Amino acid sequence: MSISILRISVRELCEQESITIEQIHSLVEHDIARPHSGKTQQDWEFDTTAASWIRKALRLRQDLELDWIATAMLIDLLRQRDQLETENQSLRQQLERFLQDD
Amino acid sequence: MEFKDYYKILDVEADAEKADIKSAYRKLARKYHPDLNPDKEAENKFKEVAEAWEVLGNDSRRAEYDELRRYGGARPGGGFEPPPGWQSHTGGKEQQFSGDFSDFFNDLFGGGFRSGAQDSHGFGGGMGDGMRGGMRGQDVEIEMPVFLEDTLKDQKKPVSYELPAIENGQRVSKRKSLKVTIPAGVTEGERIRVRGQGTPGTGNATAGDLYLHIRLVPHPMFDVQGHNLSVVVPIAPWEAALGAKINVPTLEGDIALSIRPGSQSGQKLRVKGKGLTSKQGRGDLYAILKVVMPDKKDEDINRLWKELSDKAAFDPRSQWRKDK
Repeated sequence: MSISILRISVRELCEQESITIEQIHSLVEHDIARPHSGKTQQDWEFDTTAASWIRKALRLRQDLELDWIATAMLIDLLRQRDQLETENQSLRQQLERFLQDD
Repeated sequence: MEFKDYYKILDVEADAEKADIKSAYRKLARKYHPDLNPDKEAENKFKEVAEAWEVLGNDSRRAEYDELRRYGGARPGGGFEPPPGWQSHTGGKEQQFSGDFSDFFNDLFGGGFRSGAQDSHGFGGGMGDGMRGGMRGQDVEIEMPVFLEDTLKDQKKPVSYELPAIENGQRVSKRKSLKVTIPAGVTEGERIRVRGQGTPGTGNATAGDLYLHIRLVPHPMFDVQGHNLSVVVPIAPWEAALGAKINVPTLEGDIALSIRPGSQSGQKLRVKGKGLTSKQGRGDLYAILKVVMPDKKDEDINRLWKELSDKAAFDPRSQWRKDK
């Protein structure tokens, strides 16, 4: 049996992604990710969904040679797109249940 | 080995300026980046484009590639072998690249495949544990379909996925199966981490992690809005007119719901605490009323409808005329 974890520490994140704590700080500063808990930077913990957005932001920043502001805007738009897609799918499904074909 | 025409991949001429190559790469990277384009083919296309840029975007690597291209790259239909004794001056077997590159690239310029960025620093400037005695394995992300009913309590679920491995010098896929705990209250799009169940590391380094990307399976009756659920409840016209007590499904069985007299089609009735589980508590269930006409039509029923029509003198479209 494997244990599922919903948090990742800033230290683990830095190790896994080979990034510095300053880069994590930039990600938080530009609102790409928000720590779930931790009073100081060293104690920050992120939920694993936030960690996934952090990874996405780092990949996009590197592969598309973006600065932090462009990365933050792109992540914000991608999040909005995901949210709208989910909402659209749900409303469409609800509408189909409500409307009836002859 | 098949020769890769990097100029063709980036859609530029062989004598293109570096600025034009960069511009072509950026355009294609935006189009095919797997974080922007969900199409599975896009990921493979992006890898090709990134590999082409890794070579053509580096002056000395490009010069070596051009030399090889002149040597035999344009051979029609045939395979490609580098000249005898040829060795890259820009790569070498020790060099690692931050990309998942083809055998063609690895054979020419050395290197391996991605396992995190190798040129950055770890926590506080030092290298992580996983970087000392080898290289940490890759994280693996798979989609995990979860039924709405299964989000109410912690659930143990079997998971099966493929991991890349090297056997007899060949890249192969190995199936791995394990049981994981899906915590109560998971939501669409959420990621759950299972430590050490990704690709094994090299040497003494740790394995990567497995990430489960939660996908809520569409329910035949319920729709999800955040932590709330909604269900469309068909009612008869007289139930809407006179009120009724009906059974309505929830994720945990039926409940009795009172329909008020004079209810309208599309009206929402809130059932507190019968939605999905969340950190803030249970969401609500919204029953959306849908007035449905009876299928059966006979003279007696038609007569009653006619009587109702005469007595009610109701025009549901009167508002249209008022607006004009």
